[in-house]
Amino acid sequence: MEWVIFVVLGTWLILSALGTVFVKSPIHVILFFLSTLLAMAAIFLALGAELLAGIQLIIYAVAIVVFYVLVITTIPWEKIKRFEGIYKSELMVASPILFILFLLMSYMVIKGKFAQPVGLVKDNVKDLGKELFTSYLFPFEVASVILLVAMIGAILLGKKEE
Amino acid sequence: MEGLLYSLLFTLIKVLIVFLTALGVGAYLTWFERKLAGHIQNRLGPTVVGPFGLLQPIADAIKLATKETVIPRGADKPVYYMAIIMALVPSILLLAVIPWGPSFMVNGKYIEPIIADVNIALLLAFALGSLSVYGTIFSGWASNSKYAFIGSLRKAAVVIAYEVVLGFSVLGVILLAGTLSTVGIVEAQIQKGVWFIFYQPVAFILYLYCMLAESGRVPFDIQEAEAELVTGYNVEYGGMKFGAFPLAEWYINVIALSAIAVVLFFGGWDGPKILGPLSPYFWFVAKTFALVFFTIWLHWTLPRFQAKDITEIAWKILLPIAILNVIITAVVVYIV
Repeated sequence: MEWVIFVVLGTWLILSALGTVFVKSPIHVILFFLSTLLAMAAIFLALGAELLAGIQLIIYAVAIVVFYVLVITTIPWEKIKRFEGIYKSELMVASPILFILFLLMSYMVIKGKFAQPVGLVKDNVKDLGKELFTSYLFPFEVASVILLVAMIGAILLGKKEE
Repeated sequence: MEGLLYSLLFTLIKVLIVFLTALGVGAYLTWFERKLAGHIQNRLGPTVVGPFGLLQPIADAIKLATKETVIPRGADKPVYYMAIIMALVPSILLLAVIPWGPSFMVNGKYIEPIIADVNIALLLAFALGSLSVYGTIFSGWASNSKYAFIGSLRKAAVVIAYEVVLGFSVLGVILLAGTLSTVGIVEAQIQKGVWFIFYQPVAFILYLYCMLAESGRVPFDIQEAEAELVTGYNVEYGGMKFGAFPLAEWYINVIALSAIAVVLFFGGWDGPKILGPLSPYFWFVAKTFALVFFTIWLHWTLPRFQAKDITEIAWKILLPIAILNVIITAVVVYIV
């Protein structure tokens, strides 16, 4: 039963990710991207990581993608000159790097250890909160400072010149 | 395997009951709203079709369903159709996390009158409530019309602002209850013997604002703004496709968010046992209906804000109050 659910969700995820890359119209791209995020949330839910699924939905699928949509829908796409074809030199440079990256990742998958489940967790929210605010307090706070810096930068950029 | 089949079948029955009830109640709320609006404005409202105009929703449905379908020129057809689904599905999914009553025993098995009792129910409710904004945005974009598009952009700005306030406003309640599960929050209130509105009056007022903004009701209905935008984002839709948007946004979304407000602030199904075993359901529905009534009442008495004011209220006034409320609640909960 779990396999059936995983295959269905995985196919949905891969198809929408491919759509995100290959579809031409920017609006369709953002729709496929949204679908990818929803599939991801569904996989989290199927794996029992309920909090992650909820956060995936509320932060990514709503808060962030709404901003993308707001920007993309207001751009007059028919007036923008678009390049049709293949970026040849970029492809030449990027493909060996991509290949090495792929090899490295396969090595890690084959040789490395996967995260092991620590047994059934009763309350997802409580356990995650405890971990975040005890073992991982420092990285957590550093991340929030980085976000603050980004926010101040955005406000400075957005301010009108006097 | 038998247990799985049994629970699947059982969930399906619950889904069917909630879905059909929601659609029926949603349709009849149109009648109720028109009647109420009529009396507020010193008119009679619908009176012609059936006694007290009671058959009006059915007549409306037949009229909408038999209308000719017109698709605007230059519309993005797949997105145009998908926008309807994107508006309807999240609103209906919201009903999955609402607990209608306490669990009871039948044939030695516990039955919970809730479709999905997950421990992230509240997060899910807010995520789904805001996901329906995509229906609004893409319907406006796909119809290739300026009025519709202005409406949908306004809605996007409103949702971005009020989403944040909504999340912060309910944190106080979550801190008091110690759980995100809707059933758990109601049980915490029954156990303490106090409804959380008495502990969190500020949070309730903030929630009310956000509820009106997310469901696009007056005074936050700038995405429709009949006077300037005709009806905004759904102006290019016709027939039942047009009917689906208000049904999702104005009715089902309002019912679901009111029900969540009842869970958070009014003790859910808590109340004196005046109807025997049915009283929890009676109280839950009565409280939810009271909030829906209040929303519609506001809709027909207040003017609407300017687009600029709405986002300013959210970011500059509501958000600081919400954060202050969370901090004070956290300190008090920690000390007591």
